[in-house]
Amino acid sequence: MADMAGGAPATEVATSDPDGFDGVRMTWNAWPRSKIEASKCVIPVAASISPIRSFPDLVVLPYSPLRCKPPCSAVLNPFCRVDFPSRIWICPFCFSRNHFPQHYAAISESNVPGELYPQCSTVEYAIPALGSGGDPSAAPYLPPPIFLFVIDTCVIEEELGFVKSAMRRAIGLIPENALVGLITYGTQVQLHELGFSELSKLYVFRGTKEISKELILDQVGLSAPGSTPTPGFPKGGMSQANGLHPAASVNRFLLPASDCEYTLNALLDELQIDQWPVEAGNRARRCTGVALSVAAALLGTCLPGTGARIVALVGGPCTEGPGMIVSKDLSQPVRSHKDLDKDAAPHFHKAVKFYDNLAKQLVNQGHVLDLFASALDQVGVAEMKVAVERTGGLVVLAESFGHPVFKDSFKRIFESGEQSLGLSFNGTHEINCSKEIKIQGIIGPCTSLEKKGAFCSDTVIGQGNTTAWKICGLDRSTCLTVFFDISPSERSSQSGIPNPQLYIQFLTNYQNSEGQIRLRVTTITRRWVEGSTNTAELVDGFDQETAAVVLARYVSFKMEMEEEFDATRWLDRTLIRLCSRFGDYRKDDPSSFIINPNFSIFPQFMFNLRRSQFVQVFNNSPDETAYFRILLNRESITNSVVMIQPSLISYSFAAPPSPALLDVASIAADRILLLDAYFSVVIFHGTTVAQWRNMGYQNQPEHQAFALLLQAPHDDAQMIIRDRFPAPRLVVCDQHGSQARFLLAKLNPSATYNSAHEVAPGSDIIFTDDASLQVFCEHLQRLAVQS
Amino acid sequence: MASSFPPGGPSRPRPGYYPPSIANPSPNPSPASSLPGAMQNLQIGRPSVPSGPPPFLSAISAPASAGSRPGTPPQSLPTRPQFQQPPAISNGPPSIGVSGPRFPTQATLREPAPMNPTQGSRAVSGSPSAGSPANDLVPPSIYTSSFSAPAAGVQMAHPSLVSSSQQLHPLMGGQPSHPLAGGPPSQPLRGGPPSQPFTGGPPSQPLTGGPPAQPLTGGLPRQPLMGGPPSQPLMGGTPSQPLMGGPPSLPYMGQPQMLQHSGLRQPLPPSGAAPPFGSPPVWQQQQPRPGVAPASSMVQAPPQMFGAPPSPFTQSRPLTPPVMGNSPLAWSHSSTPSTIDPNQIPRPMADSSVIVFKTRQGNQVNSPPPATSDFIVEDAGNCSPRLMRCTMNQIPCSGDLLSTSSMPLALLVQPLAIPNPAEEPIQVVDFGEIGPIRCSRCKGYINPFMKFVDQGKRFICNLCGCSNETPRDYYMNLGPDGRRRDADERPELCRGTVEFVATKEYMVRDPMPAVFFFLVDVSMNSIRTGATAAACSAISQAIADLPEGPRTLVGIATFDSAIHFYNLKRALQQPLMLVVPDIQDVYTPLHTDLIVPVAECRQHLEQLLESIPSMFETNKVADSAFGAAIKAAFLALKPTGGKLLVFQSVLPSIGTGSLSSREAEGRTNVSSGEKEAHKLLQPADMTLKTMAIEFAEHQVCVDVFVTTQAFVDMASISVVPRTTGGQVYYYYPFSALSDTAKLYNDLRWNISRPQGFEAVMRVRCSQGIQVQEYSGNFCKRIPTDIDLPGIDCDKSIMVSFKHDDKFQEGAECAFQCALLYTTIYGQRRIRVSNLSLPCTSMLGTLFRSADLDSLLACFLRQAATAIPTSPLSQVREQIMNLCVSILHSYRKFCATVSTPGQLILPESVKLLPLYTLALSKSTGLRNDGRLDERSYWASHVASLSVSLTVPWVYPRMISIHDLTSKENNDSIPSSTLPLSSAHLNDDGIYLLENGEDCLFYVGNMVNSEILQQIFGVTSVDGLPTQFLLQQYENNLSKILNDVVNEIRRQRCSFLRMRLCRKGDPSGMVFLSNMVEDKSPGGLSYMEFLVHVHRQIQTKME
Repeated sequence: MADMAGGAPATEVATSDPDGFDGVRMTWNAWPRSKIEASKCVIPVAASISPIRSFPDLVVLPYSPLRCKPPCSAVLNPFCRVDFPSRIWICPFCFSRNHFPQHYAAISESNVPGELYPQCSTVEYAIPALGSGGDPSAAPYLPPPIFLFVIDTCVIEEELGFVKSAMRRAIGLIPENALVGLITYGTQVQLHELGFSELSKLYVFRGTKEISKELILDQVGLSAPGSTPTPGFPKGGMSQANGLHPAASVNRFLLPASDCEYTLNALLDELQIDQWPVEAGNRARRCTGVALSVAAALLGTCLPGTGARIVALVGGPCTEGPGMIVSKDLSQPVRSHKDLDKDAAPHFHKAVKFYDNLAKQLVNQGHVLDLFASALDQVGVAEMKVAVERTGGLVVLAESFGHPVFKDSFKRIFESGEQSLGLSFNGTHEINCSKEIKIQGIIGPCTSLEKKGAFCSDTVIGQGNTTAWKICGLDRSTCLTVFFDISPSERSSQSGIPNPQLYIQFLTNYQNSEGQIRLRVTTITRRWVEGSTNTAELVDGFDQETAAVVLARYVSFKMEMEEEFDATRWLDRTLIRLCSRFGDYRKDDPSSFIINPNFSIFPQFMFNLRRSQFVQVFNNSPDETAYFRILLNRESITNSVVMIQPSLISYSFAAPPSPALLDVASIAADRILLLDAYFSVVIFHGTTVAQWRNMGYQNQPEHQAFALLLQAPHDDAQMIIRDRFPAPRLVVCDQHGSQARFLLAKLNPSATYNSAHEVAPGSDIIFTDDASLQVFCEHLQRLAVQS
Repeated sequence: MASSFPPGGPSRPRPGYYPPSIANPSPNPSPASSLPGAMQNLQIGRPSVPSGPPPFLSAISAPASAGSRPGTPPQSLPTRPQFQQPPAISNGPPSIGVSGPRFPTQATLREPAPMNPTQGSRAVSGSPSAGSPANDLVPPSIYTSSFSAPAAGVQMAHPSLVSSSQQLHPLMGGQPSHPLAGGPPSQPLRGGPPSQPFTGGPPSQPLTGGPPAQPLTGGLPRQPLMGGPPSQPLMGGTPSQPLMGGPPSLPYMGQPQMLQHSGLRQPLPPSGAAPPFGSPPVWQQQQPRPGVAPASSMVQAPPQMFGAPPSPFTQSRPLTPPVMGNSPLAWSHSSTPSTIDPNQIPRPMADSSVIVFKTRQGNQVNSPPPATSDFIVEDAGNCSPRLMRCTMNQIPCSGDLLSTSSMPLALLVQPLAIPNPAEEPIQVVDFGEIGPIRCSRCKGYINPFMKFVDQGKRFICNLCGCSNETPRDYYMNLGPDGRRRDADERPELCRGTVEFVATKEYMVRDPMPAVFFFLVDVSMNSIRTGATAAACSAISQAIADLPEGPRTLVGIATFDSAIHFYNLKRALQQPLMLVVPDIQDVYTPLHTDLIVPVAECRQHLEQLLESIPSMFETNKVADSAFGAAIKAAFLALKPTGGKLLVFQSVLPSIGTGSLSSREAEGRTNVSSGEKEAHKLLQPADMTLKTMAIEFAEHQVCVDVFVTTQAFVDMASISVVPRTTGGQVYYYYPFSALSDTAKLYNDLRWNISRPQGFEAVMRVRCSQGIQVQEYSGNFCKRIPTDIDLPGIDCDKSIMVSFKHDDKFQEGAECAFQCALLYTTIYGQRRIRVSNLSLPCTSMLGTLFRSADLDSLLACFLRQAATAIPTSPLSQVREQIMNLCVSILHSYRKFCATVSTPGQLILPESVKLLPLYTLALSKSTGLRNDGRLDERSYWASHVASLSVSLTVPWVYPRMISIHDLTSKENNDSIPSSTLPLSSAHLNDDGIYLLENGEDCLFYVGNMVNSEILQQIFGVTSVDGLPTQFLLQQYENNLSKILNDVVNEIRRQRCSFLRMRLCRKGDPSGMVFLSNMVEDKSPGGLSYMEFLVHVHRQIQTKME
């Protein structure tokens, strides 16, 4: 329990790579072989995979992969047994024997292709575009990305001003070839025809009426036969994705950034806040739902395979038409968690249904919805969550379009190079695994493609019942959590010689930010643990960080899906069971309780998870909760751990910056604390430091050191902020200041007003009745050893 | 293109609201010289023998004198003697028939030759020029409008007509028309009126004499035409010479081929010409009887003419005999076809002189002059006849009497009619906060006929009879004459029309701004035909005339299968186009900025209008969402209300209120097609109607400019304007070349003419009668009031009445029309017009006081209302039956003295048969008309003013190839031609106008020099199909343009110019206007008279 800092600070992430070469982390790295044993493990068997995480040593193979015969279709990998003389390889999943094709003729033990290198458990195939016929000299056509902006104009002038400046900056950053479209909306939806030269032209849709995609296209004159490609999921090859727009007329609305920059800027100059009158005591009439429908429909005219994102800048709740989340009457507040619990949110289910359909449409088209919500009140992220998450969209929640959280995040999505998010499109994720393994489903930014197969478990968690998923939008940090079920089939048990290894292969087909089609193949293997006696092996394979995150994701999921679900109690019981199972103790003697270091931080994670925004939702609005959960589900394990258990660094003259306990006791008058709670970064000055600073010592040459001390946490904070998407909120506060609550809320209340007498001078206390970690652990020990 | 006609071409009245300011086209600026009191003069004129007589003569004498005339002569002669007395009687005028009874003899006097000279000289300003008759003729004062007047005067010259044929002879008695109108008793006065037409007092008389003249007029011109020039020997031979003393006349005739002056006409009358003509119109052999009786009846005539007549008579007589002689045939009763002198038939007579009409004199009510004449009103308690005109100037005491007469009792109200600039402007009365004084019971407004009693402490309402207390502030004691002492100072107590300033009580909201929203069709066809470009350019030019103020707002939208709005807000760098694509369920795309003050967006708007045609140049959308577009525009207008001006070019085929090509369907489905054809004139469904009612509720008035080349389902479309107080303009087939100028001028007039918004109108009347129905372009939600989202100076509303009680003989029946409206400058006003008419229990008086023009308007509207619901043949029959019933009633109850065989026409309505015939052959009632044309006709008629009714039914035709040879001081075409192809010569060019269209008919042998001068081409074959009237550097062209401009001014319409060539389909179009001709669809005028007569005979039995 010494390593209370938990997840390594971001600085470390870059250097050491906790997620490993493959980007796959599992709750258990040794798997129990039977279903019963698995259930005894308490923590579900799950893997978290970052499908397209970038790392420098990735091998990119410029040819198509070699696949096992259907239905397996697994890709040749280092775990295949290769019979060089006979030019045969044996698939580790289905044990089929496959002949190498002609062009592998030169294969030999000393000459193996890249995908067979043992260290290349992850390779990427750059699949030549079909059009170029494999001729490398013919530059394949790379479909430009599409950005369709959807801007809310039901905001105050000031906010619109912020939006405009953010947009202008974005327009400057967008690659020249990217296609850009613009929709503004308020009471009505305005679709701007950027390609109309004579004057500014826009189509106006009423905000109150739900309109079908066909009708929209018909109304804007895009419904020419053949122009609407159908949904159909681009299969494996994705070769047809050339991004050409068969309905040339869609070019009226989507223009290369270089062509419409002037027009866009002019439009932004003229853009006004919504002019429809708002009656006193009412909310503005805002038809976010219809606006998004229109956007989705417009993108529907693009060929499948074209990478497109709807970038929605939403400034308030949808109050009209489909997707409405609250009535116009201000006397009716936006739904709270309480309302949702009591089923007293009249619009909620309808809205969710609408966005769910929207999500389906977007997924069919392979397009992404990004949501930038900036408002003091809620805007309906909770309802829109489904559309964002299913399409792999980005979401940013801020208080204002002028807030750095929005500004910095918004800018990020258009940046390229080092700062690029590596936004990719049209991902399809497939999983092959050994026969004993079944897939329950995935929690994360993806949609089931409903490709049923032998590997589908009957139990479904998240997007299940399939072995293939669609990830319309994905980026370097995108992370999926796959839940496995272990159910040895008859055959595998009969086979006699049980294979001690299990294999799982993750195939991710996507179109990278340059528009190239890539197939990333990650094949991993793990050990089976036979029988019920080898607990030690299981314990060795336990990854407590992953387990904590998976549990957090799972519990969040259950909270959303199950009514009356008591998350805290469920977590407690899980933890107690886990400790009972893997701890060493004498029955009914709490003091005898010892647990393997592999589990040591886990209780602390649980303690913090119980207090976190993921479980304690009532401190937050449903929008915030949805926002936090979306990010929890899509971020890497390392980042997710920070969300659950923030990291704390202490700065003082006495010592170099060092991790500090996430405890109120870490507060000292002469320290500066840097808290990274993922969504916020807090710089906290102890009283003395604050006084020094206020007296301006840092400006005196002789107090250079103090200036450096003051500056250090800021530098570190900036580093965190720079690399993170969405940008976290930076809070700079002083001890006893009002903003200090951002820190105090995250700290273990080891000193409360009840225990004030123990407080060290210069430290602080927290006004809470919450149990402290110590108390929590005591209870845990007591309960774990109960017979 | 339009260059030739400067936009202003016809100097259109300016928007100025006020009459004064409004130099309306209509009001004839023309020299009203002698006009004033023309009527009176006439009366006065009586003494002047010459003039007076003529009229009579015309009627009676003509026949007689005309000897030449066929059948009549004999009969007439006998009667005549009686006539002579009449002169004295003068009263007789009204209905000949009537006169008959009263005055034993009725004499229609023809203008004695002598008269002519005099008249000629006078009338013809250029009398001096008499030498060159032709010229003189022209000048005349008479311009088209005069038709009616003359008409009246003219009766049918039965005698002559009938001439040989027995029946007819009797026919016309009516000549004295004008006089007739005057009403027997007041005859003198009335007599006056008729004369008025003639104008120039002195000349007038001659003119009046005119009546006879009319025949003349009518006749003359014709004759000239006919015989005129080279053509028929007949003419030449024409009796006229002999008759008239023709010599002089003849020469005239001869020379001026075309137009004859009234003077000329005179010659005609003598028309003994008829005989020669005889041949022309051949009557069927018809009833023998008529023949018999005829003789006597023939004579009839209303001796009424002003006292003057006598002398003429005498003269005439002598003449007559010969005439009689001519028509021996008639006598014979033989069924053999008889010939009639077409020139003797009653026809409208042109008169250009200006009349001064004082609405009341002493306690007497004066009958108004013909609606088409040029008159100046002196409001003496009754309002100007322009504002309200009743079908009869005396109200029958009982419903029985009314139904006996078969005439409808209706009021034609044109509340914002443009006054003559010479008239006193309507005064605005502001009662301050208390608002206008009103009767406490019926809410009638204070007016000159409210009787103050009890030293002025109380006043008795002339409408409901309630006795009210005079408000303290309004108290004034009475003078010795029983009137308030301040009666003459207070306009509301001495003027028939005043305008009250409305107080807050009359407003449900602040007066609305003047909003003009333009909606332009940009679908493929519209672009390709140039209709869009024409509309845009018209709008662009027209907005220049909108008042600058902040109260004038404009907006624009275009549409094809979607609706495109434009944000014209000044801050924008360029206009912003907002497309509303959902045409099933439309909405407005912006809350503000769609409608902006014109001052702020003029530049943007002009730019936009310039670019619209090119912007949509390649538009491939053929569909047009008219219904959805007007709905969307309405939504934009909803908060304020306003005018919506729609330019539509194709059949609305998509979206809300879309229509189908019913015409084609009707054609393919022939079996039901014939029977159910009229159903296609009904709106296709209720969608547009429902919409229109909603528009009206929010004070949105829709005008539709249909610039099309195909079927657009006018029947359905026109519902919208008709319900919202708007109107339809129809350009079919649209020609970018020739219609652009008209489109612009129509639009300009539409938005700049005097008009009001968010109006409510109600007509109150004395107890005894009640309003039965309103008809016109409005929306009616409660039974008593009509809502007019828009009302302008051209719109007329017909109000019909029925008796619910009896009036006392000698009482007066009052009508009060109150129009509450908002002016274009945002003032809320109540315009109150009063008309108080005496009641009579005498049928004869009733007939004498009948107002032909109003009756015609009534007929016309009835027909228009009927065509969507009944088969055409039935409608025509109804109209004719109505005509017959009226004549029969007169014949039966008022003309007992005359012999049964005569066709007797009441002087006041002697043109009724002609108009009825013309009506039955009009576009709307013809079998061969296109559906849209018929619908347009019906919709046009629905709000047509009385003054435009006459030309609409019986267009004005003049010859133009000889314009230079006529003396022409006022650029007013003076001599009109009867609408008979007999008056068209192959070497002539004729202009025919009905207030809407202007057709140029070019014979196939026209002198190339004339062609060159007028059209700039040297041969008939070189004439363009699409025509644009241009002014060339020559006198003829200049005069022609002046003439056309004058017509435009009179009609407040730019006129649609079309060229019609003989032998061409276009020529057939022109000929279809020759209503007096026998046509496949109808009888010739003379046949018709026979027919009518026969019907009456049948009824009599």
